[in-house]
Amino acid sequence: MRRLVRSPGYARARLVTGTLFAALGAVVIVRTAAGGAGWSGFSGYVLGLAMIALAVWRFREYFGFVRK
Amino acid sequence: MAANVSVQNSASERPSLRRAVTPWGSFSWGYSDVGADIFVGLGLVLGAAAGASNVAFLFAGIVYVCIGLAYTELAATYPVAGGGQYFVFRGLGDIFGFIAGWSVLLDFTIDIVLFAWSCVDYLSKLLPVIAFTQHPWTHFFFVFGLIAGLAVLNIVGVRESSAFNELVSGLDIVSETTILFFGFFFAFHPETLVHTMQTAWPTSFQLMNGVSLAIISFVGLESISQAAQETQRPASVIPRTSISLILTILIFALAYSNLALGMQTATPIPHDAHGHVQPLWHYLGNEENNGAAVAVLASLVPYWGILAAFYVPVLGAILLLISSNSGVFGSSRIAYAMSGTQLLPSIFQRVHPRYRTPAISIAFFCGVAVLELIFAALPSLHPAFKALYARLFRGEDGITFLGDLYAFGAAASYSLVFLALIALRFKDPQSPRRFKMPLNIPLTYRGGRVEFPVTAVIGFLGIASILSFVMITHQLGRIAGPTWIVFGVLGYLLYRARKQLPVLRSQPHDWRKAQINILQQAGELDMMDEYLANVKALDERKAKERTVT
Repeated sequence: MRRLVRSPGYARARLVTGTLFAALGAVVIVRTAAGGAGWSGFSGYVLGLAMIALAVWRFREYFGFVRK
Repeated sequence: MAANVSVQNSASERPSLRRAVTPWGSFSWGYSDVGADIFVGLGLVLGAAAGASNVAFLFAGIVYVCIGLAYTELAATYPVAGGGQYFVFRGLGDIFGFIAGWSVLLDFTIDIVLFAWSCVDYLSKLLPVIAFTQHPWTHFFFVFGLIAGLAVLNIVGVRESSAFNELVSGLDIVSETTILFFGFFFAFHPETLVHTMQTAWPTSFQLMNGVSLAIISFVGLESISQAAQETQRPASVIPRTSISLILTILIFALAYSNLALGMQTATPIPHDAHGHVQPLWHYLGNEENNGAAVAVLASLVPYWGILAAFYVPVLGAILLLISSNSGVFGSSRIAYAMSGTQLLPSIFQRVHPRYRTPAISIAFFCGVAVLELIFAALPSLHPAFKALYARLFRGEDGITFLGDLYAFGAAASYSLVFLALIALRFKDPQSPRRFKMPLNIPLTYRGGRVEFPVTAVIGFLGIASILSFVMITHQLGRIAGPTWIVFGVLGYLLYRARKQLPVLRSQPHDWRKAQINILQQAGELDMMDEYLANVKALDERKAKERTVT
């Protein structure tokens, strides 16, 4: 497990899952907005933003790994 | 849960923990503790807050983010086992340190029962013979057997390995993420979400109840500080892994609650007991499913649900069992630490002569857990108790009672942790903080520069309101929780008086020496140098002030 999480393959996996989270976050925000959810959709917007924030965090980790 | 905790004997023959936890290990340690909570919390919150469950999770989630940031700052600054209890002990003094530790101990004992109970609930989705609603006695004996088994394993000293923790956490994250992808891409309908929120909006009382239960989905942050004690270079690793952990847990809690309110299921939902059509949130929050809501929700997701119906109960059960074990392990360790600082009697420090484990602590807290189990299970075991509970406690079911106490213990200890963080910013500005909670106001205090943490105040107000919601809405929790604290404090006062120690005041502590030791043992030598320089500057400033006066 330790060898796996230190490998370039794992870093790339973080990049891929980060991208997926960013996409899902965008989908959640867009669909919630398009569905006509006003204040009812607030929780959905926060969820979408949290997913995008996690994606950004993973991208940072990936680029940190690449720089090393 | 225990990562690879191995005891090494130093030159002074004093056992210390080997720092062998990697960033991923640190993340998975926290995840296997906090990540299991949503498996328990989702059904309870849906049952309580109905169409506003996502709002309940959002409120509790915002508070949780503040708590997570507070633990991250404190664990990176004071990387020592003991968690909230240690931070409060250091920031607010002995008696508050005791109250925080005693609240955490309540949570750990509940943790043992609640997660063992929920573990059996998840398994019952594949083995109906142990289902709580149909076979309460079998369910009771299974939960009892799990607690007894964990106690014996911990006394003998067998613990799951860090690698096992990491593997289960990794599998669970992949699984939960996959479920969310299928759910949000193929079944989530915002129109349904809006409709559910409008038609099933709860009363204010129900919403407060839901918020107070939602916080249990975010309990277990003690593991961040526990991991800090055993992580290499904790000051840089802990903030990195904690932020990732906080976001992951928040996403899962918000995503599941939004899905439960706004998902159109792949297969029709069975009618309720009266033959009426029932919405998804109602189906997940009823007594039959609320103990295993994540598994039931996963099985209803299009395409992936067919597969998820088989493996999610097993994966959930394993994660819950790990979390239950963390209660056994954590309670004995906190009691051991509190005993070492003379907050609890020395009996809790006694180790088994053969197995070298704190056997008395383990047996004592598992005994408390069994009492809680009996109290929670009684209404389902005999109709007379059901009638009694209905008269006295509005008929709260067993798992809700455990949830009440869990929320009380967490809210009480987290409130004190926020106060301790604020106090430490003023009392100990010399300790280098590699991570700080955001939003700080710079101030001058006793001639030195300090930063007042606004986020800690927001977090404190949030968690204090959740504590008040627990007291307002939970008939059992409002009695049992404070009773635990009152009896604990009485015991503490008697113990301190008998030992001729300061009863209400704190003993003198050499925090400077303690901090140098902590940083040295953590391998944070640059931080130690910075700390020594800060302390030296403070001493020089004070000497100068004395000369002037």
